[in-house]
Amino acid sequence: MIKNVLLVDDDTEMLHALREGFKKYQESFAVLLAEDGLQALKRLKQNIISLVVTDLKMPNMDGFELLAHIMEHYPDIPVIIITGYSTPEMEQLARKGGAVGYIAKPFLIENLARQILTTLRRESEGGTLHNVSSGMFLQLIEMEQKTCTIRLEEKSGGKKGILFFSDGELLDARVNNMQGESAAHEIFSWDAVNLSIQNGCALKENKIQSDLQPLILEAMRRKDEEEPEEVPESVMEQIEPIGEEPADRLKRLKLRIEQEIGPQCGLEDLYQDEFWDSRVAQLSKAGEFFHLGGFTLAYIDKGDAHDYILMPGQKTTVITVDSKCPRDKILRVISE
Amino acid sequence: MSVSNCMERMRERFKDILRTDGVSGVMLFSFNGDLIFKEFKSSVNEEPESRDWSLFIESLEGMRETDLIFEKGRIYIRKTEIGYMVILMALFVPIAMIRLNCDILLPSLKPAKSGKKFGRFFKKKGG
Repeated sequence: MIKNVLLVDDDTEMLHALREGFKKYQESFAVLLAEDGLQALKRLKQNIISLVVTDLKMPNMDGFELLAHIMEHYPDIPVIIITGYSTPEMEQLARKGGAVGYIAKPFLIENLARQILTTLRRESEGGTLHNVSSGMFLQLIEMEQKTCTIRLEEKSGGKKGILFFSDGELLDARVNNMQGESAAHEIFSWDAVNLSIQNGCALKENKIQSDLQPLILEAMRRKDEEEPEEVPESVMEQIEPIGEEPADRLKRLKLRIEQEIGPQCGLEDLYQDEFWDSRVAQLSKAGEFFHLGGFTLAYIDKGDAHDYILMPGQKTTVITVDSKCPRDKILRVISE
Repeated sequence: MSVSNCMERMRERFKDILRTDGVSGVMLFSFNGDLIFKEFKSSVNEEPESRDWSLFIESLEGMRETDLIFEKGRIYIRKTEIGYMVILMALFVPIAMIRLNCDILLPSLKPAKSGKKFGRFFKKKGG
């Protein structure tokens, strides 16, 4: 799921330099720009933002005001401060205000990118799921009494939404400029979503008074009214199934690994191979036995020059890598 | 050596791995799929000895190290001279640390000299 990072700075040259510099990270995050706090508020209303990077001194609404607004209205969104007028007092104030990072200008784009990637990774620390029916999955969350923040992306339209759970209770939902029950109805009407789970919930206030079940039913009812035609049966799968264009998907995956890790990624080959299917099925059963959820990836070292990464699917996807490859990094990139 | 002494020694060997935050259990299987040893930090829904693990162990053939990632956890498997060591853990556990612990542990997991073979401590389902 590509995440949106909002960059806020009245220095437009700086903004564009950052946007150019972040192009190589486009597989991980997309960049939105705003020239002051007020413009940033508009972007926050119109989009699901995962992270805000803001300057402090700006006209109309400065970085401190913006930080305070975000902490009050979007406490789930982490904020990184960048400033050319750094003092220890300012840094202390920004951190007290809720900023997760503070970088004095000038800085290396790579340093900021690293901090962005580290912060964004927390969004999916609780796992990611592809191609699931949101209603079905969320009932599980309720049953498990989980406290978490779930970011969802509708598969067909690319719409993004966010749900906040505390002990299995839905506190709030957000989609573009909708919030609360209306946003929840919208999200629950999505057929198939990709989602990432962040442990913990920054929201404390309960803005949704209804239980999950009636919300899901109401969403279904509204959807049925809008679209009388047959609703496709939702399918919960562990990973995005390799569909009609496996070659393209494999190419994209290869490109992502090479771009994110670079030439030292040790990637050798990427293909689908039914030979592994029965083994993958057996390995998957071990996870079922211990209630570990869907099987997403396996890394196999057979003690020779190549190691294997297996991705379960209709046919197993096999990635062969040099045995000296940075395996944890590769697994992380594939999991994202 | 009595079974309880043997278990105690195994527990001692696995204690560093079990102490790692997020590791929930360790099991040791023979190459035939018999459960030789198990230790869990908390109770499990179903005891592993209730299941026939032979097909699972068979599927590990030829693998020296296997890292299985699931939505809600991870299973790290390491081949030893006496069978497969299976470690259950949460997704956040630093796998490099676990690998290192296993490297340290491997030399101690060798077949006992004649007359001191590891027996099976747990009965198979229906056995």
